[in-house]
Amino acid sequence: MISDSTIPFIRDCSQEGSPIARAGRNCKTRQVALVAVKEFGDRLRSGWVVACVLVWLGAIGLTSFFGLLQMGQLGMQGYERTVLSLLNLVQYLVPLLGLLLGYDLVVSEREEQTLRMVVASGVSRTRLLLGKFLGGGLTLSVPLVLGFGIAGTVICLASKDSGFEPFLKLAVSGLGMGILFLGVGLMISTFSRTRVQALVLALLTWCLAVFVFDLVALGILVSTQSVKSANEIEFVCDATHVNSSADLHSAYDAVSDNAAPTVATNPSPSLSWLALNPVDLFRAMNLPGETGIRVPMLTWMLAATLWLAIPLGISVWKLNRTDL
Amino acid sequence: MSTYLQLSGLTKRYGATRALENIDLAVGRGTVLALLGPNGAGKSTLFGCLLGLIAPTGGEIQRNGMTIPDAARACFGYVAERVSMYPHRTVAENAEYFVRLKGLSTDALKHQLERVGLWNVRDRKVRQLSKGMLQRLGLAIALCGQPELLVLDEPFNGLDPALLDTLQTILREENQRGATLLISTHTMSAVEPLATHVAILLQGRLAAFGMLSELRADHPDADSLETIYHRIARQQRAAEEVLV
Repeated sequence: MISDSTIPFIRDCSQEGSPIARAGRNCKTRQVALVAVKEFGDRLRSGWVVACVLVWLGAIGLTSFFGLLQMGQLGMQGYERTVLSLLNLVQYLVPLLGLLLGYDLVVSEREEQTLRMVVASGVSRTRLLLGKFLGGGLTLSVPLVLGFGIAGTVICLASKDSGFEPFLKLAVSGLGMGILFLGVGLMISTFSRTRVQALVLALLTWCLAVFVFDLVALGILVSTQSVKSANEIEFVCDATHVNSSADLHSAYDAVSDNAAPTVATNPSPSLSWLALNPVDLFRAMNLPGETGIRVPMLTWMLAATLWLAIPLGISVWKLNRTDL
Repeated sequence: MSTYLQLSGLTKRYGATRALENIDLAVGRGTVLALLGPNGAGKSTLFGCLLGLIAPTGGEIQRNGMTIPDAARACFGYVAERVSMYPHRTVAENAEYFVRLKGLSTDALKHQLERVGLWNVRDRKVRQLSKGMLQRLGLAIALCGQPELLVLDEPFNGLDPALLDTLQTILREENQRGATLLISTHTMSAVEPLATHVAILLQGRLAAFGMLSELRADHPDADSLETIYHRIARQQRAAEEVLV
């Protein structure tokens, strides 16, 4: 709150080699924190965060309870089964959440002209973007962590399952995927002139990542490589859910019954396609070990780093060249 | 008077359009510069370049002989022609946010909000404010931290006589404190009592620049700044027609 004291002072952040310079460095960090906290506070006030927590809790709870309905089973499943049921939900919803959070981070303030005020206050555009990204990341993380955390606890209590590693991996990789798409959304936001344009681009990106990429990749593999490669990518991507060979529960059951796995245990080089799409990378990471699909940790780390660094780098480059 | 701000060859082009063309301007500390010109003359573009909102195509701007880093702009106060705030936040929240972004203490906020007459409505949402109140909020934020430079883009637009008088008093006090003021305006009668220097921009070019007293001396028969401005603008147009 504003206090009654009326003693003003100025802190010049630009001077180097003095106590004021130290204050300047603090000032830069504080600017990033202020932008991030404001971003999160705005979403919290708008009810976005609470709505997301409720959606996640409902989605995870219902998926865990009804996930095996089509196989004639009902009731709270263990972690591994819940992960299989949740894969599709997370791969569709989390990128969408990330993009919907990111698409208006910059363009809305640019439209409202508050961005001029912020930059004129001595905040560099790079720090502004970093603050926006961190604030968006916090807004995305709170509902996901709460949703997965509460639902995970309920599953543990209801199903007496202690093998929570797959569920934890799903939560962490899901959150990571969301943050990558938040970065993509931020990039869209810096390139767009209006909010509507940014929203359309965000939705097109989502369709591309979740549906179109897999179909195109599959088409290219079928026409240029072996049927084995095509089967693999179809199994990982499961783009249309029309192919029974991509039914994860069947594959999981088959492996459990000591039958032959649906796909080869030695994946072909075609799996490098996965690095081109964070959604496929996420899905491949969370497939049960028995299916034989393995993404090397180095590939995962490298792809995630690039998918984070490239959109953020492009956003900084673009915003620094944009007249406000 | 030592040079505080130096604009050298400042140029901004948007494709084939020349918004600013080779502007050279030196402003001393404590100066009140009235930046005059018709709509589209480049006044807001010049301010945008100064505040880091617009990247110049050429030339440079120096403050105390050095280029201006982003952080140094925290020492500037800026009131936009159209003040934009976060509408769902209160007056106090908006003010506090921008003041903190500048790295300043919020201690001075109460004084500045009182000074512009907004302390009593500090808990009101910004979307409920009138345009004049929004303008005053922008001014209160700009005044926090005793800025060394105040940049005001059309600050007199739409003000009633009482508010106009208040604003003039505040600007005079700030100038007496030592602040340098850059004021762009069409309301020349409002800026005339304050200005020490005048710059006239026409089609992105600096048509005239100097001390107001010198301009008056050059046009002894002119009864006001507005008359001088129109005369210079007419001369400029005539010179361009001759060239064409």
